[in-house]
Amino acid sequence: MKTHTTEHILDAVVIGTGAGGAPLLARLAMAGLKVVALEAGKFWKATADFATDERAQDFLFWNDERLSAGNDPIAFGRNNSGTGVGGSTLHYTAYTPRLQPDDLRLRTDFGVGEDWPLDYHRDIEPYYDELEQFLGVSGPGQYLWGPPRKTSYRYGPLPVNGAGKLMEKGCRELGIKTSPAANAALSAPQFQEGYGWRSACTNRGFCQAGCNNGAKASMDVTFIPLAIQHGAEVRAECFVTGFERDSQGRITAVLYTQNGQEQRQRCHNVFLCAGAIETPRLLLLNDLANSSEQVGRNLMAHTALQIWGEFEEAIYPWRGIPGAVISEDTHRPKDRNGGGSAIRPPDFVGGYLLQSIGVMPVTYASQLARGRGLWGTALHEAMSRYNHVAGINILGDCLPYEHNFLELSDEKDGRGLPKPRVHFSMGENEERLTSHANQVMRDIWGAAGAQNIWAFPRNAHVIGTARMGTNRETAVVDPNGRCFDIPNLYISDNSTFPSALSVNPALTIMALSLRTADKFLKSERVKE
Amino acid sequence: MENTPPTGSVIDLIHSDRVTLATRKALLDHLNQPTVTEPKFFNLEQFKRFQQVCNQLIPQSTEANIDLAGPIDERLANGTTNGWRYNDLPNDGDAYRLFLTGIDQTAEALFDQSFDSITAEQRDAVLLAVQQGEATGPAWQQLPADRFFEELLAEVTEVYYSHPLAQQQIGYTGMADQSV
Repeated sequence: MKTHTTEHILDAVVIGTGAGGAPLLARLAMAGLKVVALEAGKFWKATADFATDERAQDFLFWNDERLSAGNDPIAFGRNNSGTGVGGSTLHYTAYTPRLQPDDLRLRTDFGVGEDWPLDYHRDIEPYYDELEQFLGVSGPGQYLWGPPRKTSYRYGPLPVNGAGKLMEKGCRELGIKTSPAANAALSAPQFQEGYGWRSACTNRGFCQAGCNNGAKASMDVTFIPLAIQHGAEVRAECFVTGFERDSQGRITAVLYTQNGQEQRQRCHNVFLCAGAIETPRLLLLNDLANSSEQVGRNLMAHTALQIWGEFEEAIYPWRGIPGAVISEDTHRPKDRNGGGSAIRPPDFVGGYLLQSIGVMPVTYASQLARGRGLWGTALHEAMSRYNHVAGINILGDCLPYEHNFLELSDEKDGRGLPKPRVHFSMGENEERLTSHANQVMRDIWGAAGAQNIWAFPRNAHVIGTARMGTNRETAVVDPNGRCFDIPNLYISDNSTFPSALSVNPALTIMALSLRTADKFLKSERVKE
Repeated sequence: MENTPPTGSVIDLIHSDRVTLATRKALLDHLNQPTVTEPKFFNLEQFKRFQQVCNQLIPQSTEANIDLAGPIDERLANGTTNGWRYNDLPNDGDAYRLFLTGIDQTAEALFDQSFDSITAEQRDAVLLAVQQGEATGPAWQQLPADRFFEELLAEVTEVYYSHPLAQQQIGYTGMADQSV
């Protein structure tokens, strides 16, 4: 790996190496720019370091304490956080549905929420096409929802596991369409530039605690090796604390801590890609880029209710890609209130997708404890049926509200920095959407033969805390990810999303990351 | 439902070529972890009370006897967290100590005795009152009982089901992660 000194004035420093940072790091390096990525976590070698043991894999999570407030406090740690080169893609489920064009028009279509200042076909679709090929997404030959695709998925779908087959069965009974899902995990080996051969998925079912053979397209086996191959330096275990600026307010250096030592990296540009908690936290700590007063506000989290049930036959819920089967018939359920549909007309804005889910044993036990409060012999009894458990969940929209935001608390963490406090309460729309989904999923699981059905309430993926827009009064960054207040600071992660979307965010974060890099490179060429 | 594997199967599996080196090491670390007898975070009285709580939350046969209180004492001594906590709870260490004081106060209120000397059924009654947010005693003014109980139960449960012997009880064999 090529290295740079801290005195060298780099073209760009990238803060964070997850889905927001890694793609643009590679893009900038391939354009010949001198770039360094600073990553708070370690540089793991998954094939040697990752165990099939949930507790041993705790190191993948951002475990500096966050304070969760509101009526529906958001769980962090193994949910909604990540650390290490690759960020939370090290433990994402690799579920990679595309957003649908109407996801970008919530305000136009419903009069609430926000529209995106982007066009699906011009600004996003080309990057989806590129990413699905590059990452090696496995998916169905024909996808049933959304606009016609210009390209097929690179590989056929991964095997449908126990929960997936049950979802297919239950939905068939009810007349709800299903499809094998798109997952960024290989169903055939793939050569990856800078990395070598990535193996096909072995159906180990451990995506959420780290893939150990390169099958899952986390950033550490895809964009990071590509970036390094093209001259980028990745500096692990570097925690960014602040910036130096010139008299015009432009950033001239990034300040960070490495091995207990304060460091200062000079640079021309900064790309902040630390996720929807650490990005606004760093800006608030330094009182930066906040003339709109929107930093930390508009915090959203996907509605993500899970329904679990027990089945007569053995399921082995840890086996196979966790999110094997999808339905987007509930994307805009108003389109489906005709005869024969099991989906009642909606009384809410937006929509959601349905997904079958596998589960690792410790995660399931923990959810039984939190969700059902089981202990003593009742817990033993419920866990004795673990191998017969299957789940289904939603991933749905969420509107921004005044009452949902991130702030700095008075309490200090182990680094001596204020802990973030995250306020989250579902609004009426999220309550209605979740209630609708609860009924649909219970019906599906009932039709599939489930017994002892129970619901685990959940909100996943923090979004929106440094909003993108065209108006500097109401947004933090412009449609290209550039801060209105600081012209050489860009933000690339889920904090820029103007609305939550009714799909998992990772693929879209990567698409926007590549787009921001391309827009930046174009603007730099104009300067020359 | 047929999911009880033969005794010893997970142990045999760990040592077989169906398990990667990293996984074998992690599982053997859990298996070989010595039972804590000298706590680092709790005092001895608190620790013994906490062990009693763990026994009620996850009753175990004498042959399994997985140490649940020890790893939690160790985490609290190290000051590490699981990445978040409810805003209305004090920090983890203070919360655990308040809980152990609180259940003693509740036992006194319900049974005129210390938590340490009541019967197993009476302990269950105290813990149920805590879980339902109905426990009496001054400590609960500072610690929302039902909220903390959720945290406590989740942590004890996670420690227990991380252990290979507990995973064997539920017929889990997903640790066989090496293609052969």
